[in-house]
Amino acid sequence: MASEEQPLWEVVEVSKAYPGVLANDRVSLRLLAGRIHGLMGENGCGKSTLIRLLSGVHPPDSGEIRRKGRVVTMNTPTEARAEGVATVFQEFSIVRSLSVAENVFLGRWPRRALGLIDWDMMRRRSAEVLAELEIAIDPDVITGDLSVAHQQMVEIAKAVAADAQLIILDEPTTALGPDEIAQLHRLLRRMRAKGHAILYVSHRLDEVTALVDEVTVLRGGKVVSRAGETAVDVDAIVSAMIGGSVADHYPKDRNTRTDVAMTALSIASARGVRDVSFTLNKGEVLGLGGVLGSGRTEIARALFGLDPLTAGAIVVDGRPLTLKGPGDAIRAGLALVSENRKTDGLFFNFAGGANMSSASLPRLSAFGFLDLRREDREAQALARQLELSAGATEKSVLHLSGGNQQKVVIARWLLSQARVLILDEPTQGIDIGAKLAVYRLINRLTADGCAILLISSDHDELLAMSDRVAVVRQGTIADIRAPQDLTHGDLVRAATTDAGRTAA
Amino acid sequence: MKRFLDAQLLGPLAAMVLVTVVVAATTDRFLDPGNLSNLALQVAIVALIGIGSTVVIFAGGIDLSSGSMVALLTMILATAIKSAGLPLWLALVAVLLIGTALGALNGVLTAYLRIPSFIVTLSGLIAYRGVALMFNAGSPIFSLHPGLEPLFYGTILGIPLPFFYLVFFYGVATVMMVNTRPGREIYAVGGNPAAAKLSGINVRRVQTLAFAIAGAMTAVGAVLMAARLNSGSPNYGQTLELQAIAAAVVGGASLAGGRGNILSTLVGALTIVIVQNALNLNAAPAAVQNVILGLIILTAVGVDMWRAELARALGGILSRRP
Repeated sequence: MASEEQPLWEVVEVSKAYPGVLANDRVSLRLLAGRIHGLMGENGCGKSTLIRLLSGVHPPDSGEIRRKGRVVTMNTPTEARAEGVATVFQEFSIVRSLSVAENVFLGRWPRRALGLIDWDMMRRRSAEVLAELEIAIDPDVITGDLSVAHQQMVEIAKAVAADAQLIILDEPTTALGPDEIAQLHRLLRRMRAKGHAILYVSHRLDEVTALVDEVTVLRGGKVVSRAGETAVDVDAIVSAMIGGSVADHYPKDRNTRTDVAMTALSIASARGVRDVSFTLNKGEVLGLGGVLGSGRTEIARALFGLDPLTAGAIVVDGRPLTLKGPGDAIRAGLALVSENRKTDGLFFNFAGGANMSSASLPRLSAFGFLDLRREDREAQALARQLELSAGATEKSVLHLSGGNQQKVVIARWLLSQARVLILDEPTQGIDIGAKLAVYRLINRLTADGCAILLISSDHDELLAMSDRVAVVRQGTIADIRAPQDLTHGDLVRAATTDAGRTAA
Repeated sequence: MKRFLDAQLLGPLAAMVLVTVVVAATTDRFLDPGNLSNLALQVAIVALIGIGSTVVIFAGGIDLSSGSMVALLTMILATAIKSAGLPLWLALVAVLLIGTALGALNGVLTAYLRIPSFIVTLSGLIAYRGVALMFNAGSPIFSLHPGLEPLFYGTILGIPLPFFYLVFFYGVATVMMVNTRPGREIYAVGGNPAAAKLSGINVRRVQTLAFAIAGAMTAVGAVLMAARLNSGSPNYGQTLELQAIAAAVVGGASLAGGRGNILSTLVGALTIVIVQNALNLNAAPAAVQNVILGLIILTAVGVDMWRAELARALGGILSRRP
């Protein structure tokens, strides 16, 4: 830690709060030229916030960001680029319909007299940049025709052409195969040799330990391990990431009964679900753990009739299901609380009451006529049970807090009298109080005999609230265990290391 | 009653009352009984077609085909009566069924083939008038049937029949949107199709239903158009689709879908017709009338878009503390 070298970039005691959460709490970070710096932490630890501060997306509430010792303020991404920071986000900022050369010089196309684009200059310069980085891509190719890995390299070439000295990569390997990851890492090492500072953010421990020179670990918005304090080693990083023992503020009741609620028999779907089998008992919570993109959401979609099954069968309450769409699943007593309540959960044109009843319209109507009084009565009763804020059934859900919005979505499935509930990231983006309300609701549902499939990227939550945990990898269930036989570290390792290296 | 008279209706209603008061105070003959029943006749066709346009807007789509479909349907009606010799009632039923089917076709192309409704119905706007011109070598057909004109000009207790059509169809439409499952599903699909799908609503079927309703109401408008002039013509209904959409928009329907009160389309249509009537009575040239209609639409949508901001600004001033 005694490096006296002047850092290229330095983050000093930076804090940033969003409504309800202190996302960065006096975070400090030193980025040196010619080093690859790993930034680690679980989902929601504040990694993305820190990246946004460094790329000028948001300004910090307090603290300083220094470039070569000089304090800089960057209020827009353009200002950050002008300071030599280039960020490669998970969603690329590449225009797929343009050529590679046009993308490399996107928005800064070299001009000739009369403002015409100097195509020769642009091709020559991009060819030079690509050659310098040893990237074998023709600058005249349309970028959208390239593989994802090559598109990402174009993005990096764009950063180099813009003379960026600090390159930030946010989960750059999510969409890449092993060979492409190796190719990317070779490129990053060459850039390190040329004196760039690289901030590498990933939750894939194995690849991080193979690449980075030093690592900073965040937990709950704070730096828990500074560069040099933790060895660049899987076990050391995992223990820093998860900290002490699993928090014990999860009010878990065990309500598993002996009779089966749902069975999946070797189901598969066109979206990459393959050979998924499990049995879910009444009153049981089966957790699905795994990284983003491991196929958990896709399993949920297949079970709910959103993606047709290409193989296998689903049995609910002893009857095999024929799912033509979600309507069939709902009739069979299934429910899906989707991951993204804003895009596919809530009706912002409706008040809370109509949001709750949207999956129960057949039950609430006779000969096509809705029983509005009954709808109102049932919604009000649920709102009271779930301790929703006053008037929530009559106000547009736009004006509700995230926690109350989530309660409205869950209430929809209580109103539909669902017996098997799939909860996809049910506590994402809601505050601690609302999380507890969701946990208590899970307990109440299981006590009533409902079965729950819980998808969560919050490992503490998953281990604490599940009766059994299935580790999902590449669209299939790799292992099912009792949570007490599974440590937090196991789960992180099992989910983040490639198949073949079994979690010990 | 609360459900029918919501804020989304009260705003446009207040605007209409204001317009009416201003017109009544400044224009002599406006309140003559003759002029008022003339108003009912003028507003009827646009307002009835507007029901369909509005239902489609609620479902998150747009229907540009209704004006040309009116022309086509009057030509089909005329041909059915004059050339095929169908009895009047049968010809009317046939036109209503064909209109509904053409609307459903718009819906199928939009919902199942996933072509944006703007494109589907823009094609209909262009193509249907072409098809209408293929009948009778492109010429209008006159003097269709002695029983046709009374459908438009008939009265009960001195009140023109179109008034009763408006009451009936707006009553049915309001009950449908407020009290029935299909109505609720139309709002749900227009508000958030992804959430509607996850709620088990058959999104495609609901979208198709909305367009079929629009086709049926277009057919009703076409029958009244033919009755009004006792003829069919490939030139009928030009820009009618835009007037119907304008009525919906002036009434406060959000083109984003999912929101609005069907009755406010009637209010919107009346507002437009009252202004036009006032301009006519004051002998304003047609060019001026078009400019004013444009300004009305812009103002109505502007006020609607900025309503929240206007209210906030006003509230900010009122609640400002020293």
